[in-house]
Amino acid sequence: MSLPGRRQRRTASTFMVLALLVVASVAPAWADGGDDRVEKRGWCSQGAEWRIRASPEDGRIEIEGGIDSGRSGQRWKWRMFHNDTLSAMDTAWTGGVSGSFEVRRQVTDLAGTDRYSFRARNPDSREWCRGPLAY
Amino acid sequence: MPTLPSLLRNPVAQFLVLGMLVITGITLISSLLSARQAAQEATFDARRTTELLATTVVQPSLPRRLVDGDAGAVDRFDRRVKDRLAIDTARRVKIWAEDGTIVYSDATALIGRRFDLGQEEVDVLRRGGTDAGVSDLTEPENYLERGSDGLVEVYTRVWSPEREPLLFEMYYSTADIERRASEVFVPFQRIMVGALLALGAVATGMLWLLTRRLTRTAAERERLLRSSADASQAERRRIARDLHDGVVQDLAGTAYSLSALARDLPGGPEGSRSREVLDGAGGSLRASLRALRSLLVEIHPPDLDAERLPAALADLTAPAASFGITSEVTVEGVSGASRDSVGLVWRVAQEAVRNTLRHAADATRLDVEVRGADGLLRLEVADDGAGFDPSAATRDGSYGLRGLDSLVRDSGGRLVVDSQPGRGTVIRLEVSSR
Repeated sequence: MSLPGRRQRRTASTFMVLALLVVASVAPAWADGGDDRVEKRGWCSQGAEWRIRASPEDGRIEIEGGIDSGRSGQRWKWRMFHNDTLSAMDTAWTGGVSGSFEVRRQVTDLAGTDRYSFRARNPDSREWCRGPLAY
Repeated sequence: MPTLPSLLRNPVAQFLVLGMLVITGITLISSLLSARQAAQEATFDARRTTELLATTVVQPSLPRRLVDGDAGAVDRFDRRVKDRLAIDTARRVKIWAEDGTIVYSDATALIGRRFDLGQEEVDVLRRGGTDAGVSDLTEPENYLERGSDGLVEVYTRVWSPEREPLLFEMYYSTADIERRASEVFVPFQRIMVGALLALGAVATGMLWLLTRRLTRTAAERERLLRSSADASQAERRRIARDLHDGVVQDLAGTAYSLSALARDLPGGPEGSRSREVLDGAGGSLRASLRALRSLLVEIHPPDLDAERLPAALADLTAPAASFGITSEVTVEGVSGASRDSVGLVWRVAQEAVRNTLRHAADATRLDVEVRGADGLLRLEVADDGAGFDPSAATRDGSYGLRGLDSLVRDSGGRLVVDSQPGRGTVIRLEVSSR
C-alpha cells in the first residue's frame, strides 16, 4: 500500500471518528425520543459521568440529575441551579453495581427559556461535575 | 261527589289550602334568606381559609429573595406550598409585591409579570386585614381566567423574610361558593320544610277530629232543637185546635144568634134600639172573631198549599183593618207550587205584614201580591208607611229581616227590602216554585 493511500485512509478514519464523536455528544439531547424531554450527559473532572434531564411534569419541569462514578459508597454534594440561582441542594451516596445516584426535583417553568444546571462535588476525591441544560 | 265550592267550604280543606300557601311562602322567604346567609357564610369561609393558609402555610414558607424574582427561591417556595395550597375550592393563587409584580403564582407563566394593583389591594398591603370581591376577568392579570364562570378573589397581607409586605391572593369559583352555600342551607331547608309539613299534617288531623266532633255536636244540637220545636209546635197546634173548636165556634154561634135575635125583634122604637145594641154586639163579636182567627194563624200556621194560600194571606192581613189600614191580597198563577215554596212565601209575608202593623202606624194601604210565572213565585208586600233605612235596621239588629234573608238564601231565593224614610216599604221575594 502506498503512503498517500494510507494517509488518505487515516484521514478518512479520523473524520469518521470525529463525526461519531460529534454525533455522540449531540445525540443524547433527543436520545430518548422526540417528546418534550431534554437530556444531556458529560464527564466529570476525574472520569465520572454526569447526566441531566428535563421533562414537563404536572405544570412544572422535572429535573433529574445523576452521577455514575462506577464506585459504590461515594459521598457527593449536589446542587441544582435555576437561572443561576440555587434551587435545591443535598448530599447523596453512590450505590448499586454501577456506583451511581440520581436525584429528581420539580422546578418552575418561568417565562422564556430557563437555564438549569446540575452540579456535584465529591469532597473526598475533590472531583467535580457540572451539567447545564436549557429548556 | 262534592263540588269544588262545597269542598272549599270545608274547614279542613280551607286549612289545608291556607297551610300550603303559608308553608310555600315561608319556604320561599326562608330559602331566600338562607341562601343569602349561606352565601355570606361561604364567602366568610373563603376569607377564613385564605387567612389560615396565609398565616400557617405561605408566610412560614416564604424564602429569601422571592421578592427579587430569584428563580431558585421560586422553585423552593413552589415545592413547599404547591400541594398544600391546592385545595379544591381555590382556582388560582398569586403573591404580589408592592410594585405590582407577581412574585409567585401556581400558574408559573404569571411569575415575574407586573400589573397595576387596585386601590383595595393597595389598602390591604399598607394597612393589613383581609378583603374580598368579585374578580373582574377583563383585567389583564386575569387573562388566564377568561371564560371562567366567575371568580371571587380574597386577599390578605403576608410578610417576606426581608420584611417587605406581600399580597397573598386566592381566587375561588363563585360556582364552588354557591355549591358550598347550598351544602350549608339545603339540609336546614329540608329539615324546616319537613318540620312544617309534619306540623301541618298533625294540625290537619287535629282539625279534622275537631271538625268531626263539632259537626256531631251541631247535629245533636239541631236534633234537640228540632225536637224542642216539634214539641212546641205540637203544643201550639193543640192550643190552636182547642181555641178553634171551642172559643171560635162559641163566638161564631153567639154572633149568629145575636144577628138572628136582632132580626126577629119587633118593630117600633123599643125594638129598633134593641136591634141597634144587638147589631153592635154582633159586630164586636165578629171583629173579635177575626182577631182570634189571626191569632190562631200566628200561633199555628196552617198546613199551606197553593190552594189555601189566598185565604191564609187574607187571615194575615185581617188585623190591618183595626189599624185603619186598607189591605188587599192578590194571588195569581200559584197552582202547582210546592208546599215548601208556598210556606216560604207565607213566612215572608207574615214577617212583612207584622212589620207594617208594628212600625207603620201612619200607613193607609197594605198590598200583598203573589204571582207565579216562569217557575218562580214572586211576592211583593208594599205599604205607604213611614219607611226606614234598611242598612240601619240591619245594623240595629232587626232579627226578623235578617232571619228572613237567611231563610230565603238557604232556599235558593232572593229577598230585597226596598225602603226609605218617608217613602213606604216594599219587600220583594223571588223563589223557585218547585
